[in-house]
Amino acid sequence: MNGVRVGNRIIGADSPVTIGWENVPKVEGGPFKRLFFTWFQPAVLFSMILFWYYAPNSIAKASTAIGIGIAFRALLLALEWVNPRFKSWELTWKECVTDLFYVGLGYTILNLVDNFIGSDVLIENLLSSFDWDKFAWFTGLPLLVQAFLILFIFDFGQYWMHRGMHNWYPLWLTHSVHHYITQLNINKGAVGNPVELFLIGLGIGGLFDFLPRAALLAGAIGMSIGVYQHINVRFNTPAWWRFLFNTTEHHSLHHSLDFEATRSNYASNFIFIDRMFGTCVDGEAELLGMEGGRRMSIREQMTYPFTEGWKTMKEKFGKADDTHAVPAE
Amino acid sequence: MTGMTQSMPGGDLPGMAPHADGRSWMRLIDWIWTVRGELPLPAGQDADKAFAKLEPFFREPGTSFDQAEGRLTFTKKDPLAQDKMSIYDRGELRVESQPGGGVLRYWMTSKSLLFCFLAPLLFVAFGQIIVGVGILAKPDAEQADKKKKEEKDKVRELHWIDQMLGAPAPEKPKKDEKDKKKDEGGKDRFSPTSAYVFAGLFALLYVIGRILEDRLISRRFLRSLSGG
Repeated sequence: MNGVRVGNRIIGADSPVTIGWENVPKVEGGPFKRLFFTWFQPAVLFSMILFWYYAPNSIAKASTAIGIGIAFRALLLALEWVNPRFKSWELTWKECVTDLFYVGLGYTILNLVDNFIGSDVLIENLLSSFDWDKFAWFTGLPLLVQAFLILFIFDFGQYWMHRGMHNWYPLWLTHSVHHYITQLNINKGAVGNPVELFLIGLGIGGLFDFLPRAALLAGAIGMSIGVYQHINVRFNTPAWWRFLFNTTEHHSLHHSLDFEATRSNYASNFIFIDRMFGTCVDGEAELLGMEGGRRMSIREQMTYPFTEGWKTMKEKFGKADDTHAVPAE
Repeated sequence: MTGMTQSMPGGDLPGMAPHADGRSWMRLIDWIWTVRGELPLPAGQDADKAFAKLEPFFREPGTSFDQAEGRLTFTKKDPLAQDKMSIYDRGELRVESQPGGGVLRYWMTSKSLLFCFLAPLLFVAFGQIIVGVGILAKPDAEQADKKKKEEKDKVRELHWIDQMLGAPAPEKPKKDEKDKKKDEGGKDRFSPTSAYVFAGLFALLYVIGRILEDRLISRRFLRSLSGG
């Protein structure tokens, strides 16, 4: 396999990938279907912005956001069924159970842990220990600017955390589990070792004070963009959206079986951060995962960073076992 | 015939019919993780022909199988997500001759079904842990919430652009609402509701999976057996 040159890199030498928007398939079907799957994403984004910008205070609450989030995910699950990107990513009962188990962990035990050692709590403690105030000027900005900054600051931090995970072995151990997923579905973003799920949630947003409505707007915008990272739906995403935001196409490359392709498209929402730092690759991949597409069980997902780390430590610092020594190539 | 390198010793398998020994009580509960079925074979189809038709199911990555004397046993390790039998870990298929023609009987176990069956208990336990931790951490949580509430009580003004565009201005919480919320303390942060919702969701998923996967595999086997 030759691969395709993208900048200084050869993408697709290990596993087939599609590079360039002109080579990515379009939505097939009647005019209504094509229209729907072309404008769905922008229509949802702008509707969300309008709703959260103008909703009365009695409605603009976290509970409403949770309700909308659940209903939206249910709708996207239905879209996966109506217009799948790849048949080989079809959601099975077992995949659905596995994904929901991780979503459940996020809402329960990981949430509990975050109450004590989450970044917001740590920052809160830091500010009170040094008698510092939050950056209160933040609340004086227009709502949409506040919302964008909340998202951008988090995404920028996440970009470097994610990139770090792909470049520093101890962090990679925790993140590698997420790369064993072999298909993209709506809840696959939640799948990973709990240590990584905790690390990827760290941010410095707690340093800033902002209006509750701005936080709700940021949450809604983040959901309307980020939810498409892991989804099995074929969209005709508009070019401006693909330039600014992360898409399923970008993220499928990031999860590809091709090693070089996985070292791209790190940002969560704003793919322009990848463009800024030269790590963006436009295209898509169908064959995903690690080790030739081996699927990991939940038990192994829970223990892998530790068992693999232990194995590496033993190899590096343990006594050499002459009988099983394999000469380096 | 043996698929892949590793085969499974048939003697380890529990029988397909209930035993009269100590294991028979297992039959009362093993429906939780075991799928059993019986399918009539098309006229003139013997065991070898039937297993030849079903062989693609067992020629999947991570699957080992052993076929001999009208019996096929298999094990699966980390099957692919799209493997049609991905929920099963091991099992046995047997062709038996009956007066009306051949019959395929199968018996397959699934750790996924067992996991989903037990998941509600796990999430109820998570709920209880959350409640317990909430009780232990209550004084601190109340203190933190009080501080947060004081901060929130400061009424901020919207930027003039937002005022011009008509966004609703932030409101100061009403006195009685404030007191009510204060009484609730840090309850929201240590609410077990999500855990109980997920417990219910997994109970529902178990029922769906137990019925759906049973029917799916029966239909798939039947289609393969009667296929040309």
